Amino acid sequence: MNGRIKMLLGSAAIASALTLSACGSDSAGAGKEKLVISTWGFSEDFFNEDVYAPFEEEHNVDIVVETGNNAERLNKIRQGNSDVDLVYLSDYYAQQGVDDGLFEELDSSKLTNLDKIYETAKSPNGEGYGPAYTIGQFGIAYNPEMVKETVSSWKDLWNAEWESNVAIPGITTTTGPMFLDAASKVSGNDSFNEDAAFKQLDALKPNIVNEYNQTSEFINMFGQGEIAGGPIMEMYFSSLKEAVPEAEFVTPEEGGYAVMNTVNVVKDSDQKELAEEFINYQLSTEVQEKTAKAKVDSPVNTEVVLSDEEQEGITYGEDVIEKLNVLPADFLVENSKQWIDRWNKEVTK
Amino acid sequence: MRNYYKYLLILPGVLFLTIFMLVPIGMTIISTFFPNEAAADTSNYASLFRDSYFLEILWTTLRVSILTTIICMVIGFPTAYFIARMSAKMKALLLILTIFPLLTSPVVRSFSWMVIIGRNGLVNEALMGIGIIQEPLEILYTPTAVIIGLVHLFLPLTIITLVGVMESIESDLLTAAASLGASRFGVFTKVVLPLCVPGLVIGGILVFVGSFTAYTTPALLGGQQRVLSTLLYQNANTLNDWHMASILAAIMIVVTLIVITCMNLLANKLNPRR
Repeated sequence: MNGRIKMLLGSAAIASALTLSACGSDSAGAGKEKLVISTWGFSEDFFNEDVYAPFEEEHNVDIVVETGNNAERLNKIRQGNSDVDLVYLSDYYAQQGVDDGLFEELDSSKLTNLDKIYETAKSPNGEGYGPAYTIGQFGIAYNPEMVKETVSSWKDLWNAEWESNVAIPGITTTTGPMFLDAASKVSGNDSFNEDAAFKQLDALKPNIVNEYNQTSEFINMFGQGEIAGGPIMEMYFSSLKEAVPEAEFVTPEEGGYAVMNTVNVVKDSDQKELAEEFINYQLSTEVQEKTAKAKVDSPVNTEVVLSDEEQEGITYGEDVIEKLNVLPADFLVENSKQWIDRWNKEVTK
Repeated sequence: MRNYYKYLLILPGVLFLTIFMLVPIGMTIISTFFPNEAAADTSNYASLFRDSYFLEILWTTLRVSILTTIICMVIGFPTAYFIARMSAKMKALLLILTIFPLLTSPVVRSFSWMVIIGRNGLVNEALMGIGIIQEPLEILYTPTAVIIGLVHLFLPLTIITLVGVMESIESDLLTAAASLGASRFGVFTKVVLPLCVPGLVIGGILVFVGSFTAYTTPALLGGQQRVLSTLLYQNANTLNDWHMASILAAIMIVVTLIVITCMNLLANKLNPRR
């Protein structure tokens, strides 16, 4: 009995020693400020090394990253018990955050780099809220080995050659509503016509293999030859090419769509100034150029100069950006509930 | 007085389950009747059960889980019978092999199935290679793919449960039956099968409840075909409609309870030991 008690005491001592030493190392790190960033998690290595690390060093701060898709991360902030300071969201989700009063208004005097970026990127969700740090393009990517006819229009996806060959974005993703709008255009309407768009999508059913709710799903299906292609953002084209070297990306003749990703400071963040500084840094020519050259995000900073080779897979140049269709985020937010409902019933099997 | 002390032993478990399971489930279900914190309201349930989209998803989910359960039983029973009659050493080895797939996450297993049953996957290449089919079969992103994935997921559970029950059947009983003139088939249908009913019921409940609530497998293999769990996920995580998500959760709990009760009643009727 005695031996057993001794052993218990001994292990208790070891356990408490371990806890104490753990606490010790914890408090040593507490001297540094912490900036929590919520983002998608794509190209994590690039961001860690080339974007976060220099900022951490310059400002003596630890950057902590939380990842997930737009909806998940916005909902986490909505529920109120997160310590996120900065949040990356597409303009459609950022608009919902703005409408719900989840973000701080920014002090534009701190954002000196705002003058260098495209006009459309400055405040896509209303004056005072986070700028778009990248404008990408939503168009069509395809595998020419599987589809022989050339692709030049959104209409082409409806061709018989595409039977059981298309993956389309789900309606709750950023690009879902854009594809709905494209369907409306294909039906022959110049301005958005909801009924015509859904009818047009119904006609696409024989061609649809699956819906994707994450771009990685599209890339997988494309790489495995489950699909010949479909509507997707240009920024993922380099991943598609890695999977299928012959892959092509086209801007449909009716126009591609602008996909804007924004950065906002979460309401009541205790790091507001540092977060604003980070946003300014994200817009700087240096970071924008690095990000574009690594083919991670398309630049909004007009000072960035890219060679022809560097432009591949990147949405670049004022003339390209100007031609993109823009769906106003508030129009999306207003209608999304109804679209999701109809989409669930009429498009999803 | 002393006798009451023994109840202290179960106190931690009961407390844990009450605080972290019963109370939250109760709160979830109660909240579904009070959408506006005002008067009780059941119109949400009523409109849901009139909605053909929801009914179709409920039916698909039920069909997929029932089929999965039946297939698991049909494949699992003979396998378990075989394992139960092996020597102790062999049995241990075979059981380890059975449990082995459980060590891989459902995500990894679903991705493997994508490679196997995909358009250019193993199955289609092989069938086209021998010339049985000309065009690739469309299995991936259909309910069939979900059933294949779920059977793979739950077959080990079925086998383990059934082996446990079959081991407890004394071989004297079989010898006695045979000595009294029962044929091999007779011994199986009149003695072995009835004695296995408890195992079949427990295994069946585990598989049914597991596949009825599974999320990963249908989400990855089911394509556009929704089931209740993926619908619940969409409402909770994408649409932020926690009220609808709670209603769906409540419906899943009730369906599960109904199925468990029915299977227990059936087991009591069939159990020869009573």
